[in-house]
Amino acid sequence: MTAGEPVLEVEDLRVRLRTPRGPADVVNGLSYTVGAGETVAVVGESGSGKSVSVLALLGLLPARVATVTGRALLQGEDLLTMAPDRLRQVRGAGAGMVFQDPMTSLNPVLTIGRQLVEGIRAHGDVSKADARSRAAELLREVGLPDPEGALDRYPHELSGGMRQRVVIAIALSNSPSLLIADEATTALDVTVQAQIIDLIEGLQDEHGTGVIWITHDLGVVAGIADRVLVMYGGRCVEDGTVDDVLERPAHPYTRGLLGSLPDLAAPVGPDGEVPELTAIPGLPPPPTDLPQGCVFWPRCPVRADPRCETEQPPLAVVSRAPAGGPAGATASGAYTGDGAGLPHRAATWCTEGVDGGSRG
Amino acid sequence: MTGAPVPEPGNSPDTPAGAPGTSPVATLRPARPRSRETLSLLAHNPTAAIASVLLLLIVVVAVFDETIAPDGANDIEVADRLQSPSWEHPFGTDDLGRDILSRVILGASVSLKVGFLAVGFALVVGTMIGLLAGYYGKWVDDVLMRFMDMLFAFPAVLLAIAVLAVRGPGSGNTALAIGIVYTPIFARVTRASVLGVREEVYVRASRSVGASDWRILTRHILPNAAPPIIVQTSISLAFAVLAEAALSFLGLGTQPPDPSWGLMLAEGRGYIQLAWWLAFFPGMAIFLTVLCFNLLGDGLRDALDPRQRTLMAGGGK
Amino acid sequence: MFALVHLVPGDPVRLALGTRFSQESYDALRERSGLDQPLVEQFFTWFGRALTGDLGVSFRSGETVTSQIAERLPATLTLAFASILVALVIAIPLGTVSALRPRSIVDRVATVISQFGISVPDFWMGIVLILVFAGTLGWLPSGGYVPISEDPGAWLQRLLMPALVTGVVSGSVITRFVRSSMLEALGSDHVRTAQAKGLPTRQVFTWHVLRNALLPLVTVTGVQLAYLLSGVVVVEIVFSWPGLGQLALQAVQARDYPVLQGAILLFAVVFLVINLVVDLLYTAIDPRIRR
Repeated sequence: MTAGEPVLEVEDLRVRLRTPRGPADVVNGLSYTVGAGETVAVVGESGSGKSVSVLALLGLLPARVATVTGRALLQGEDLLTMAPDRLRQVRGAGAGMVFQDPMTSLNPVLTIGRQLVEGIRAHGDVSKADARSRAAELLREVGLPDPEGALDRYPHELSGGMRQRVVIAIALSNSPSLLIADEATTALDVTVQAQIIDLIEGLQDEHGTGVIWITHDLGVVAGIADRVLVMYGGRCVEDGTVDDVLERPAHPYTRGLLGSLPDLAAPVGPDGEVPELTAIPGLPPPPTDLPQGCVFWPRCPVRADPRCETEQPPLAVVSRAPAGGPAGATASGAYTGDGAGLPHRAATWCTEGVDGGSRG
Repeated sequence: MTGAPVPEPGNSPDTPAGAPGTSPVATLRPARPRSRETLSLLAHNPTAAIASVLLLLIVVVAVFDETIAPDGANDIEVADRLQSPSWEHPFGTDDLGRDILSRVILGASVSLKVGFLAVGFALVVGTMIGLLAGYYGKWVDDVLMRFMDMLFAFPAVLLAIAVLAVRGPGSGNTALAIGIVYTPIFARVTRASVLGVREEVYVRASRSVGASDWRILTRHILPNAAPPIIVQTSISLAFAVLAEAALSFLGLGTQPPDPSWGLMLAEGRGYIQLAWWLAFFPGMAIFLTVLCFNLLGDGLRDALDPRQRTLMAGGGK
Repeated sequence: MFALVHLVPGDPVRLALGTRFSQESYDALRERSGLDQPLVEQFFTWFGRALTGDLGVSFRSGETVTSQIAERLPATLTLAFASILVALVIAIPLGTVSALRPRSIVDRVATVISQFGISVPDFWMGIVLILVFAGTLGWLPSGGYVPISEDPGAWLQRLLMPALVTGVVSGSVITRFVRSSMLEALGSDHVRTAQAKGLPTRQVFTWHVLRNALLPLVTVTGVQLAYLLSGVVVVEIVFSWPGLGQLALQAVQARDYPVLQGAILLFAVVFLVINLVVDLLYTAIDPRIRR
């Protein structure tokens, strides 16, 4: 898959929430693009600001508590400065969204048909009958058995996987150019997960939809994404192609997530037993009180640079930059060139040992 | 209806809330708010704080009623009948020339005594029943809770009236009647909390090391059930004071010549066009006391019982 | 309840006959009322007759209990339904508005109002209303009941104050319920799905918030209605409203067993019927409970 024209361009997105414990900087300057037909995976622990960053795009955060700044161009139009009425039109028609829990993301007291039809009719002057047949067609497309009959059923009469298919059908009902899947497979069991991922990939190929796939499951990322963006403390700490990020992680956090850094993956126990990988000790920093330097510093086992504690490292090219940048020195050996021509960037002062993955 | 209805920030899945990675040992036994934290939480809730201070004041007045009241409850001054409020009689005098301020002050102890007795009865009996029903389950649960449901389903005022009809009027019987009415609520709240923790790891663990039922009930289960019971106590006190007033108003509760707020209201009712202060001040006293207990209950609920397990004893007057 | 009623101390026959009576008339009345029979037997006789609609004869007035209850029923029904109407008219807008703007001024004011309504003694509020509207202003009569068939104007005038008093109390309870139920609905995931679909705000609100939030309201309204129907004794006394609560109180005071039993039986029936209606309504409006 190649990235075509960008569908979405996010620039310096910042979200600040008002909380009882003071202002919380949940997203701090996030920039990325999603091309047509491209899948960008956003990964991170809970509390890293992944969901908030996409809810902010569609204006789904409560205006009373959330301040969103930056730019987010959906096909050239800025979502963040859009008139509320125009934003409403864009929701569903420009960007569809699939949420985490199919058990709760459908209204339990309305029929499946009604919930599809109201979405279709909100975006065009369609008769009820036409909207209904379009709804049935959508349900067939997402692979629901007996789509006609399903229209008159209620969510509780369907299994979790089937419900998620319905949610996907709703998200796709107005052929949006962008699909946002917020932990769309997390609540499903593994076989259903695979089916849903296949379904979305298939639909994406067919319609050329750009996809933002939010997850904390790196296995899913490897299967579906073209590019990966690793979020931590409301920042992008590393991004690049799937191969770059998953196989040659540059940021200590990413390496911790992947369990490729033995220091991070919990030390060997006193009985000589090696514990399971990918457990990073400690908690993400509270967004009300972010560290002054590198966001990962409090949990970082590397801390190889004096600037770590005091200065936030910029997101710099790790492996393709011809010269300059703090990572330039280690660049030559790492880059194998996947053809996508996309830079692999990371926000860290410590890039030594990227290749080997272990620092002795 | 402007502005999109949107979820509370706390509900977004990604706002920092969960604490993954805490050691499993620490989470075995859930942390409970300690009394000092509760007090500080209450202090942050100005309404509840003001209500507590007022309540304290009411209790002090009730305890030292004889000392504070300017006149005796039944000092009859026929010459001073139906005096409107003045410096000498701030709340006026009634049809027998008794000082209403004094009677309101003296009535505080009657109302509060009945309230505390009633809720104390409901608290002890209801909590015991709830503990037994929840802990032993099976037929014990069935029998006890079926009986409680029957009591609960019955209109509260009528149940109290029926109890008073059996036992005869008077303060002690009023307390008993109200206590019986509120017993099922405590039983339910307690039982629900017990069911919530009965199968928790720490309870099963202490059972497996041979702790006695009594020890498990008092050391593990009761403390967990305490927050909703405390909240329920405050709210029930509000309704008990209200119920005592209502029953005395109907002539079934406190008997004359004792000064009870409900009774004073009933006596003042006949003079309402002539001398409004007879009914107004005792009513105000009931209202303020009940309001304070309710506000304190709300504050406690916010502080202690974020999951809102407490039943709203609404309408059960 | 039958047992409880019979434990009431005091001899009803003595009360019915007054202070001067002969032993013969005492025994005669005792036999006529069946009070000389053992308690268990009395119960089965009463229960058998109750099934056929015969609740016995009042000791005090000599009328049949059924006719006494039938006489009081219209007043009680009128007051109960008027009150629940007042309650809902207060509660739904107030609860909704405060849920839409939690912790705002509107919310705080609504909370104060509902806290007031829950804490205020209803009889005191009734007395104050009488003082103001019947006394000082002289707009409304201070109490009584006129059937609507006789004079609708007078009926409404007399209904207003008692319905307002009981409606404010019930309404305050329901307001808090609407608020929390609405907050829960507002925070639910499917509302976000509806917004993400691009539905107009009003449509999201009506179909995905309001509809879901008001479903559980059926239960609370049912509970409140049962409470109102079972006699708001105190308010009936304050407004001289000839309802069932008043009848029950008079029966207790006069040890009029048959009337008290009849009233209690009626309340039990009312309670069951309302529960049934609530269940049926739920099956009709909530697809999750069907079948």
